[in-house]
Amino acid sequence: MPRTTSGTRLLFRWIGNGLLLVMLVWTLVPFYWMMATSLKADQEIYGFEATLVPHHPTLAAYVRLFQQTPFMKYVRNSTIIAVSTTAVSLVFGCLGAYALARLRFRGRRLIARGLVFTYLVPPSLLFIPLFAMMSALSLVDTHQGLILAYLGFTVPFCTWLLMGYFRSVPLELEEAALVDGCTRLGALIRVVLPMSLPALAVVAFFSFTQAWNEFLYANVFVNSVEVRTITTGLTLFIVEDVFFWGPMMGAAFLSALPPLVVYLVFQRWVVKGLTLGAVKG
Amino acid sequence: MTSGLDPAVLYPDERAVPTPVLRARRRLSLTRRHEARLAYALLLPALLVILGLVAYPFVSAVYLSLQNKPVGAPGRFVGLANYAELFRDEVFFQTVRNTIVYTAVGVSLKFVLGLTMALILDQERRFNNVFRMLLFVPWAVPVVIAALNWRWIFDDLSGFLNNFLITVGLTRDIISWLADPRLAMGCVIAVVVWQGTPFYTMTFLAGLQAIPRELYEAAEIDGASVVRQFVHITVPRLRTIFLTTVMLSTIWTATNLQFVLILTRGGPANRTEIFPHLAYVTALGARRLGMGAAVSLAFFPLLVILIILLTRRMLSQTDD
Amino acid sequence: MTKANMTRRQALKTAVAVGLATTGPWWLVRGSHGARAKKLVFWQLPNFTPLADQLQKEQVYEFAKSAGLKESEVEYATVSNEGFAEKLAAALEAGNPPDVARLYESNVQFYAAQGHLLDVTDLVDKMRREPKGIFDSSLTAVRYSGRAYGVPLAVNPWPVHARVDLLEQHKLDYPKTWDEFIETCMKIQSPPRLFGFGMCLGLVEDTTDNVMNLLWCYGGKMVEADNKTVVMNSPENAAGVKVIEAMFRTRKIIPQGAIGWDNSGNNKAYQSRQAAFVMNPTSIYAYLNQSDQDLQKRTGLFPVPAGPKGTVNLIDTWAFGAFKQNPYPELARGLISYFMQPANYDKIIQSTGGRWVPVYKRLFDSPFWKSKPEFKHFVSMAETGVPVSYAGSPTPAAGEVLNTHLIPKMIQRVLVDNWEPPRALEECHRRIDEVYARNRKV
Repeated sequence: MPRTTSGTRLLFRWIGNGLLLVMLVWTLVPFYWMMATSLKADQEIYGFEATLVPHHPTLAAYVRLFQQTPFMKYVRNSTIIAVSTTAVSLVFGCLGAYALARLRFRGRRLIARGLVFTYLVPPSLLFIPLFAMMSALSLVDTHQGLILAYLGFTVPFCTWLLMGYFRSVPLELEEAALVDGCTRLGALIRVVLPMSLPALAVVAFFSFTQAWNEFLYANVFVNSVEVRTITTGLTLFIVEDVFFWGPMMGAAFLSALPPLVVYLVFQRWVVKGLTLGAVKG
Repeated sequence: MTSGLDPAVLYPDERAVPTPVLRARRRLSLTRRHEARLAYALLLPALLVILGLVAYPFVSAVYLSLQNKPVGAPGRFVGLANYAELFRDEVFFQTVRNTIVYTAVGVSLKFVLGLTMALILDQERRFNNVFRMLLFVPWAVPVVIAALNWRWIFDDLSGFLNNFLITVGLTRDIISWLADPRLAMGCVIAVVVWQGTPFYTMTFLAGLQAIPRELYEAAEIDGASVVRQFVHITVPRLRTIFLTTVMLSTIWTATNLQFVLILTRGGPANRTEIFPHLAYVTALGARRLGMGAAVSLAFFPLLVILIILLTRRMLSQTDD
Repeated sequence: MTKANMTRRQALKTAVAVGLATTGPWWLVRGSHGARAKKLVFWQLPNFTPLADQLQKEQVYEFAKSAGLKESEVEYATVSNEGFAEKLAAALEAGNPPDVARLYESNVQFYAAQGHLLDVTDLVDKMRREPKGIFDSSLTAVRYSGRAYGVPLAVNPWPVHARVDLLEQHKLDYPKTWDEFIETCMKIQSPPRLFGFGMCLGLVEDTTDNVMNLLWCYGGKMVEADNKTVVMNSPENAAGVKVIEAMFRTRKIIPQGAIGWDNSGNNKAYQSRQAAFVMNPTSIYAYLNQSDQDLQKRTGLFPVPAGPKGTVNLIDTWAFGAFKQNPYPELARGLISYFMQPANYDKIIQSTGGRWVPVYKRLFDSPFWKSKPEFKHFVSMAETGVPVSYAGSPTPAAGEVLNTHLIPKMIQRVLVDNWEPPRALEECHRRIDEVYARNRKV
């Protein structure tokens, strides 16, 4: 191998490591601050010195969180809703994305653009007519209602992003499969999807976290504790002009863990899937 | 790669076509006729969702903008009066400028940072998985909490940033990050970029991971430099993903009010007032739903033009 | 059947099956849409202490039991302040608001004007008949067209929370006038660690409250008592604004970052011992009671200093409202009545640790309040206090002015854009006038 390229590669690697370090620090300091706050006593939280390491770490905030709020119920609800939303969005998204990416039909461009147009009216305006619909259909205070509302947000996005990824899959592989006697759906399942594993993971992942962290619809469409999600529970720690930072940051920290853990697991699965795919293809 | 499923290109010489391919070609041409029906069937679920859950409220929002409609009271049709009132207000033009700057700078920074980090994370490295997870953290936290957290970090009196700078000795005075008209927009954009970069990083990374290593190895054997490999292998493959990601992110950034709402509420003195925030204050603060809808929709033309321009190349059939 | 046909049919079948399966619950639910099952729907905003929340919940269920309701017929929803406006707006638009909810200030008149609230004049009259009655200042917020549409549950003065230990240390008394106040601040402050005056100047409600409170002491006001004549561009207001400008720019007793504060900014400043004086309702005091008794001991609660035109104190009012779209209005009224029975009421008031100030005058004679010398000024402050819309009452127009932060924008024109006070007041006057005019048309 030419020496210059490997030399350049090494240089890029070291630059890469440096930038990665900077980026990690910038990304994680606020998160660390959140976690540290959850371990501080109230007095220290409001102290003039923004202490990086809590002087007297205490779990009082977490105790308050679990004793005074039905936090585990919120976690259960968030999980049900996020998982269902993700599963349905993936299915709808894959089917629709394949159609937009590979098939020719009238209205293709219109529908594709339409996907993006759906985000022009943001939830902060849509929630009122949407709530009226939910109310008329008796879907208020139900898991299904919230899932359905979230689908309105995640399905266009899944379809749109997957369309982009599917278009990047080389056509020859599909053509080869079709020539071999595969149906279109078969080509989708046997060729395109395996090659798009990273994309599927990312899209599933983003749908999950969006449903997990959503606030507006969860607040408006749900009253009962039995259906309430974590994010609406979090804001109960803001009482007018007083912020109970300790328990709020504690809950936020705990709430961030499931998405991160799931991501870590997904990453391993994706890499495994890809290497298997590479061996086959 | 640009041939599509056109056997005529694969086998230009009619006489030499083998039988299996002839059969396939027949199947393919049948498929092409039914392609449209298949497409609609596959799209049906997604379309149902969109029409039922988005289109109807969308249309009602448009109709709302043509009404004088306070919360809780019936509406009165007023035609374009809301828009007229909006265009007469000097804050409107400042809002347009602010929104364009906020969106353009935010998206550009997110793109550059996202691509850089995706390339770095694509390199072989121990613990890459952990690093990828850690960089995902900003997305794992609800936006409300992230914004509140940053609000506090930027706080003038008890914020982490000022405390750190003063302790380390970099400044002597308190810096009013969110109250200084010169700094406020920059700080808001910094938070937007902090929270939104993982989206770019991860979508680009997913695209990079799908590019087979063999292509790079082959290019290297041919003597191409790293930069040339990037330009000629990576970029063409990722172009569609670039466009889809930027398109979605632009709209999300331009319509997100959470950061401005929690960090600055449009201040100081309208320096960070952007459309979605103005719409929110109008619809729920002043409780004028009709006017709020009008504010929201007034920014559409710009976004619609942007969508059409950016997606034109991407959606043309002969694109690769 | 050719392979192509199978593909198409297969695909269609799959799509329909998937569609049905995923929207299945929707079809099932559609059938069950009928009359609402709940007979009493109460939205609870957090009452500041978990104990108060708990007590309120108990009271709701106690009342329900006494009214013969089953637990399953009561809906008790805790709603956070963040997002309350959205939730109520959506509920009203969809035609199913709660039966009883706590409403702030002008919201009572806003919903009453639209005809959404039940007339509760009789409930208020009953309260006034209690020995010593109630603070009548609380009635300006709940009255509309001569009738009461809300039941006031707390009258909250906005005292000056003051660091009496610092005053003692510098051998100073609490300042009687704003001029003295400025001098005192300059003496006791030591920026950047300690500022004299934590005045809120951000684009939030606290700013409107702080600014107007000062302007009143200089003879200024927003609107006349007829709730029509806007008088924002008066020379008295200009005099007051100039004082604020001096405090911020030349005397520097207000931290520069106050321009970016939210409603919790002044709380934070005081609680972190970085501001010596703040004007805020007793949420700070109640917080200190829970979490920082050391600072609580060093805190005094005082009326606002006097300007050339005397001292005027601010109060705001929370009230219970009952919404009309309710098949069981007697239950809603009964619940409010139950809450306001003095014994029940007092329990909750005491459990908020000083956050809520009782609307019944007699309750101030109880040991709970007598044992807190900090509150000795409160009776007169509650008696004579005025709402932020002074000299008008909290009408929907006043509410819109507060919610769209027209007065904070005015003060930021002066402090950030360097406008002359009369020019900024002129723009503010014009905008407030537009708001009042528009609300009159409706």
